[in-house]
Amino acid sequence: MSSSAIEMSTSSLGPMMKRRGLVHWLRSYALLVEWEARSLRLLLPLAIVAQILLGAGLAIGFGFLMGEIPTIEAQFLATGVTVISMITVGLVLVPQIVSQRKYAGIYDYMWSLPVPRTSSVAASLTVNSFIALPGMVLALLVASWRFDLSLQISPLVVPAALLTLVSAASVGFALAHAISNPLLTNLVTNVLLFVILLYSPINFPPDRLPGWLASLHHGLPFQHAANVMRAGLTEGLATHAGESFAILAGWAAAAWIITAWVVGRRP
Amino acid sequence: MSVARQSASQHASQPHSLAGAGTLSVRELSKRYPGGLLANDGITLEIRSGEVFGLLGPNGAGKTTLVKQIIGLLRPTSGQISLDGYDLVRDPAQARQLVTYLPQSSLPIDSLTLRQVVGLVGRIRGGDRAMVHRRATEMIEALELVPWADSLGIKLSGGVKRLVGFVMASVWPASLVILDEPTNDVDPLRRRLLWQQIRRLGRQGVSVLLVTHNVLEAEQSVDRLAVIDEGRIIAQGTPSSLKAPDRRCLRLRVNLIPGVEKPEIPQICRHHTLVGRRLHLLIDETDAGDAIQWARASIEHGIAEEYALGAATLEDVYIRLIGRDDALEMMVDRRGDA
Repeated sequence: MSSSAIEMSTSSLGPMMKRRGLVHWLRSYALLVEWEARSLRLLLPLAIVAQILLGAGLAIGFGFLMGEIPTIEAQFLATGVTVISMITVGLVLVPQIVSQRKYAGIYDYMWSLPVPRTSSVAASLTVNSFIALPGMVLALLVASWRFDLSLQISPLVVPAALLTLVSAASVGFALAHAISNPLLTNLVTNVLLFVILLYSPINFPPDRLPGWLASLHHGLPFQHAANVMRAGLTEGLATHAGESFAILAGWAAAAWIITAWVVGRRP
Repeated sequence: MSVARQSASQHASQPHSLAGAGTLSVRELSKRYPGGLLANDGITLEIRSGEVFGLLGPNGAGKTTLVKQIIGLLRPTSGQISLDGYDLVRDPAQARQLVTYLPQSSLPIDSLTLRQVVGLVGRIRGGDRAMVHRRATEMIEALELVPWADSLGIKLSGGVKRLVGFVMASVWPASLVILDEPTNDVDPLRRRLLWQQIRRLGRQGVSVLLVTHNVLEAEQSVDRLAVIDEGRIIAQGTPSSLKAPDRRCLRLRVNLIPGVEKPEIPQICRHHTLVGRRLHLLIDETDAGDAIQWARASIEHGIAEEYALGAATLEDVYIRLIGRDDALEMMVDRRGDA
C-alpha cells in the first residue's frame, strides 16, 4: 500500500464534532455491547457452563440436604436457586471481572474513549447479565423436575428477572469500582456469597430468621429479589410484590448512582 | 518552518482536512495527589498543529500524570490545559473527543482480532464502517501487520500488541494523538515503520505527543521535545537546540572489563557517566587524540575491552540535564541492550 493512499484517506476524515445526547449514548452503548461480548468470548462459554452447573447443582444439592420436603418449601427452593444463580453473577463474577480489568489498567484506555461512561457500564452490565440467563432457566427446570413441581409462570417473570439481574450486577459493579484493592474485592465477594447462600431468606421465608436479621433483610435486596421472582413463577407464594419491586428498583438506582459517580469522577 | 508544518499547511486547502487543529497549550499545570506527592509542578508547554513533540524523563518524573490530565483521567490541582481553544480542565468529555491515547498499560484486545478492535475503535470515534475499514487496512499493511490481522489479541507478542495499540490510536485521529512508549518491545524493522507512521500523522496535521525513554530514536523523529524530571520541565526545544551546548563535544564510550574498578577519569573529560560496564565521557573535540590514547591505555592495562568515539547525542544532553546516572540506566534497561 502506498503512503499516498493513507494520506488521501486521512485527509478526508471529518473534524471531530462534539457528540453528545441520547443518540450518541445509544450508539456508544451498541458498539460497546459488541466490544464487551467479543471481549468475553473466551470466558463466556466457561462462565455459562459454570452458571448452569451452579444453578442445577444448587437445586440437586439442596434436595440432598433437605430430603423429601412439602410443596411450599419445594417451591421456595426451586425459585430460590434461580435467584441465587442470578445474584452470584452480579455480586461475584462481575466484581471479579471488573477488578481484574482495573488491575490490568484496562480502564485507562476504556475511559479515554469518547463515549459516555454510563453507556460503557450499561454495556458491561448487559453482557454480564446475559451470562446468568442459561443457568437461571436450567436451575428452574432441574428444581421443578427434582421436586416434582408445576410452576405458574406469568409475564411478570421478565421484569422480575431483569430487575434482579440489573440490581445485582449494578451493586457488584459499584462494589468493584468503589474498592481500590482487588484482593479486598475478592474477599468481600466471597463473604457476600456466604451470606447469600446461608443467611438470606432466598430459599426459605424470612420469618425463620431471628427478628433482627429479618428486619435487616427487609432493607437488603436479596429477599425482595426472591419475592419478585416468586411473583412471576408461582401463585400465592409471593406477598407484597409491589413493595419488593420498589425496594429492588431502589437498590438498582442507588447502585447506578454510585457507579456513575465512581466512574465519572476525576481523582 | 518544519517539514511537518509545511505539509500541514498544504493540507489546509483540502476539504475536511484536520490541519489547523491540534494546538495544545498547557499553562502552569500542577498536580498534587491526595497523599501529598507533587507529581507535576508548574508545567508549561505548547504543541503546535502537526508537531511531533517528545516528552522525555525518567520513571516517576510525572510524564504519565501529565498525559492523564490532558486526556481527562485526572483533575489538575491548578493550571490550564486547552486544545483547539477548548478548556480541557473544565470539559474532560471534549478532551476524549479531541485526543486519542495509547496507554502504557494493557489494552482490552485479548478476545478480539486486530481488524475487529480497530474497526470498533474507529466507529466509536465517529468514523463510518467503510472508511474505518479502509484506513485500518492501509495502516495494517503499512506496518506489515497483515499476518496478525485476523489473530486474537491474546495470541500476539508484546511488540505486535503495541503496534495494534498504535493503530487503535491512529485509525481515526482527531486533533492530538498521545503515544505512551509506543516502541516498547517492537522489533527494529517495525519500529522504523512505526516512526514513519508517527511522522506521517504529523504531516497530516495531527499533533503527536510522544512519551518515551528512547532518547536516540526520539532525536531522529520529534520536531521538539521537553525533558521532565521531578514534576518540572527542565529543558524544552528542538533536539539541535538542546544539543547546542555540546556542539563541539564528542562522546567516548568505553566498555569496561567485568569486575574492574572504575578507572581514574582523565582531566580532559567534561562530564562522565557509568552505566553498567559502559563508561561515557564527554570531551571537547580538540581533545580527541588524548581521549583515544587514554582509551587505548585502558585496554592495554586490562581495564577496558573496547572503545568508540562519536558525536555527542541527545542522550548525553539528557543525562547532563537529569544529572543522575540512573536516568540512562533506566533507558538502557528498557531498550534491553544494556
